[in-house]
Amino acid sequence: MGAQFDIAYVYDYFLKLLPFIRISLVIVISSIFVGLGVGFLVALPRLYKISVLQRISQVYASFFRGTPILIQLFLIYYGLPEILKLVNVDVSKVPVLFFVILAYGLHAGAYISEGIRAAVTAVDRGQVEAAYAVGMTGFQAFTRIVFPQALAISIPILANLIIATLKDTSLAFTLGVMELTGKSQTLVTVSRHFVESYIALALVYFILSLILERLFNLAERRLLRHESLVSKKDKVPMGRKWLNRTLEAEIALSKGGSSL
Amino acid sequence: MTVDLSFLWTAFVQLLPAIPNTLYITAVSVTCGFIIGTIVALSRIYKVPVLSQLGTSYVTFIRGTPMLTHLLLIYFGLPLIVDDLAAKFGWSFNSVSIPMIGFAYISFSITAGAYLAEVIRSGMLAVNRGQLEAAHSIGMTTIQALRRIVVPQAFAAALPNLSNSLIGMLHGSTLAFTVSVVEINAQAEIVASTNWKYFEAYLAAAIIFWGITILIEKATALLEKRINVYNRGGVA
Repeated sequence: MGAQFDIAYVYDYFLKLLPFIRISLVIVISSIFVGLGVGFLVALPRLYKISVLQRISQVYASFFRGTPILIQLFLIYYGLPEILKLVNVDVSKVPVLFFVILAYGLHAGAYISEGIRAAVTAVDRGQVEAAYAVGMTGFQAFTRIVFPQALAISIPILANLIIATLKDTSLAFTLGVMELTGKSQTLVTVSRHFVESYIALALVYFILSLILERLFNLAERRLLRHESLVSKKDKVPMGRKWLNRTLEAEIALSKGGSSL
Repeated sequence: MTVDLSFLWTAFVQLLPAIPNTLYITAVSVTCGFIIGTIVALSRIYKVPVLSQLGTSYVTFIRGTPMLTHLLLIYFGLPLIVDDLAAKFGWSFNSVSIPMIGFAYISFSITAGAYLAEVIRSGMLAVNRGQLEAAHSIGMTTIQALRRIVVPQAFAAALPNLSNSLIGMLHGSTLAFTVSVVEINAQAEIVASTNWKYFEAYLAAAIIFWGITILIEKATALLEKRINVYNRGGVA
């Protein structure tokens, strides 16, 4: 199938892949920003329990957590132009990257909306009441008391999500975007050193996610200066103990669609 | 070309035969992954000298790289190894005799193993140490204590994460199309390109996945209610 294994190619391909980290990161960063916007809009009706909008945001979150990202990519890439054609908007000239970012953004938005709900409801109600008691206005109480605490709570959620999105960007090659995975597949068309190329690819992703993980650990520690040290010792990567707070049971941060 | 709703139903019917392949991949990878994960988790919890370090690096590496790279590495790397061994020992078995879906089974089992190792480990660590000590103090052996006391509680604690992993692997099985296994996603591609109706075909595929996901979640919720019976308060 391929050529004989040669370790020198791993190093060679590794260097050739490095410039394409930029495109993968562009996809990750822009889709997280799209996701933050969408997630915030979607979380609000559910936090304030607005009747019809609440239902719509439930269906949205359920759909995007309940279907594979690969299907969502195809659905948006092929479906959005069709739907926009019905209202006479022509998007045939829009670059593929736009659709990719939108798909990842909507996917991330579903998780972010759950994360926002989790973080806001995890801040103790007494904190807001205490803020009012010392005479703060609603806006002051939110920006000075609730937001900093919610941010610290949501850092692990956001960190997991960003690393997951980075790994998901490996699917963008299916639509022909030249990011890391796409590049690794074109590198081998001449030499046919498949394994070496994919080892280099795995290394790049691995190093990227390690760096991201370290950065978020630093950020978390900084934001948690005011918390007790209890939460630090019993931390398991998957089942993070969510600090020393309890989250509301019905909030679903994982994959699935049962919030429907 | 506009959105054709009647084709949605046609596509849905044509996708049904591909569901078993998706479910096979999910079931095999989660089952094998569970076995791998249990071994890795136990060796990490009991700090078995070499195994625990190997397990830690396995989990870190697999969780730090996309599932697609595991599949590609196995798909292109395994035949090299198998053919080398076959030439050396004169086997009649070589890489051509591995079915395509075999590569998906192997690589997704490796992926699932790493994620499930963390799920199982956090489940085991969630059980209070006093439970094991209490079991020992009434004369149970470690095996008995694990089987009767720790595992049932750990399973209850890990259940939400287990169902999350199961759904993750269900969604991940769509990647098998890169090694030409016809599961739901690949079938959707076939239906879409033969009829030139991409949107409807993928929408039908999305609906099927949505349905299976919700089924898994409802089943887990039922199981969770049953399994947490011991955990209720009150007197009766």
